[in-house]
Amino acid sequence: MNTTAVLFLGIYFSIVLGIGIWSMRIGAGKDLEGYLLGGRRVGPLVTALTLQSTSMSGYMFLGAGALGFAEGYWALWYAAGDIGGGVLNLSVIGRRMRKFSQLLTSLTSIEYLEKRYPSAAVRAIAGTLTVFLLGCYVLAQFIAGGKGLELVTGVPYWLALLIAVSIILLYTLLGGYLAVAYTDALQSVVMLIGIGWILIAALIELGGLTAANESIRSIDSTLLSVWGRGLGYEGEWGIVLGAVLIFSVGYMGWPHVVTRHLAMRRPATARQAGAYATGWNLLFVSTPYILGILAIVILPDLDDPELAIMRLAENLLPAAVTGVVMAAIMAAIMSTADSLLLQTGTVASRDLYQRFLNPGATERQMVRVSRILVLAIGVIGYYIALSEPPTVFSIVVFATSVLGSAFLPAYVCAVWWRKANTPGALGSMIAGASIAFAWEPLALVESTGWHPMLAGVFGSTIVMIVVSLATQERSPVPAEILAAMDEAARVR
Amino acid sequence: MFGLPLSTTLLVFGFPVIWIVYTIGFLYVSRDWVDSDDSQDGSA
Repeated sequence: MNTTAVLFLGIYFSIVLGIGIWSMRIGAGKDLEGYLLGGRRVGPLVTALTLQSTSMSGYMFLGAGALGFAEGYWALWYAAGDIGGGVLNLSVIGRRMRKFSQLLTSLTSIEYLEKRYPSAAVRAIAGTLTVFLLGCYVLAQFIAGGKGLELVTGVPYWLALLIAVSIILLYTLLGGYLAVAYTDALQSVVMLIGIGWILIAALIELGGLTAANESIRSIDSTLLSVWGRGLGYEGEWGIVLGAVLIFSVGYMGWPHVVTRHLAMRRPATARQAGAYATGWNLLFVSTPYILGILAIVILPDLDDPELAIMRLAENLLPAAVTGVVMAAIMAAIMSTADSLLLQTGTVASRDLYQRFLNPGATERQMVRVSRILVLAIGVIGYYIALSEPPTVFSIVVFATSVLGSAFLPAYVCAVWWRKANTPGALGSMIAGASIAFAWEPLALVESTGWHPMLAGVFGSTIVMIVVSLATQERSPVPAEILAAMDEAARVR
Repeated sequence: MFGLPLSTTLLVFGFPVIWIVYTIGFLYVSRDWVDSDDSQDGSA
């Protein structure tokens, strides 16, 4: 057991719990808007940091390093899109979605879809898809959190998982969205410090980036190319484009990420938040992939590539600093898990329970139901993660690809295309989810050379356009929605 | 640069430059957003 790391993690966990208690005291759970959206008073810096840290997840510390280790500089295609994901999201839909959601009196990103595309079916399908996919995604974060804590503390997996899940549950239940947003902001800073520290240590160890690249060239020069180990992806532009798209435009289709727009203090918050998001991404996003690449030289005998960054930390940093790095890894996992948990509970309570089972529920009842559902999802997730832990990163890629494919055209067209109507949105969600869901099992990646995300987004966009245009006469967009769209677009 | 082929250098350093230019462009075209919100909600 690394005592310093455990001590540092203890301090870190105490701070995030403190933020949860503080959020509760300032009234974050008093009413539904306070609990679900922090009373729509989140400023630009916290908006940017919660958006980014929620989007990143434990994938960046485990999966990104593994990809760099396995494929060399090809992995940077993912970072190439990811650096602009935040500003793209905020600039394209941020301001309009914030304004439009308030005009439509929507408290969740799924309720927003139903009010823009009036139909109970839109909410039922979008809500069910979201609960299932975010449920899978949160499960992956739980498993990653349990494994990370097990590695640091040396306690058995079941206990490590219990501690990780309990802490995330506690502060999410206490302070709702406000606690999640402020802990995310803290966690994004911890992530930056942790990853930066390892990068500096690795570059010092190798004598700088040029020397490191020369060492990699002597091992396998194809690792320095943009086509992967052995030029395995040479000319595979469908895969490359999918890698760039998944973490750039893809974010605009993730319900737990676009909810950040609804909670902004005012529509113009998107402007500053976009600049902060780019600044943070420039410092963070490429680093985990580059660390994986550097590990090829430093740790040539590494048996599990997913542990590349953790092993680098263990090998290059003093014990005290390893504590910071481990806290950074836990921060990345927790900042995504809390947002997913809150969103899954929110959608299950507001968009499914209240909408279809108990429309007369009061605000206080809804806050209580939302908390109970968050707790229930956490407990169920714990037991699944304990008994049959599936592969973490295959779940993450699956869930994010299907979410992005299902919802991207629906969210973008909601504020930008006046002809986007209910049949178009329904068809788009079903087509996008089905294509992304089936692409891998049907082995279409190999036969077409297309990434599931690219195929899903392409399909859902085509269906949105064709079906909306074909059904304009039968299902026109209601006049009051068009008026609200115009108002949301207006800059006086 | 840094011992990398040109295409890899463009991938590693070119995309960040593109996103910096995009962000500056976004800040420029959205420069009147704050005033617009202020005039609508009356806040400072």
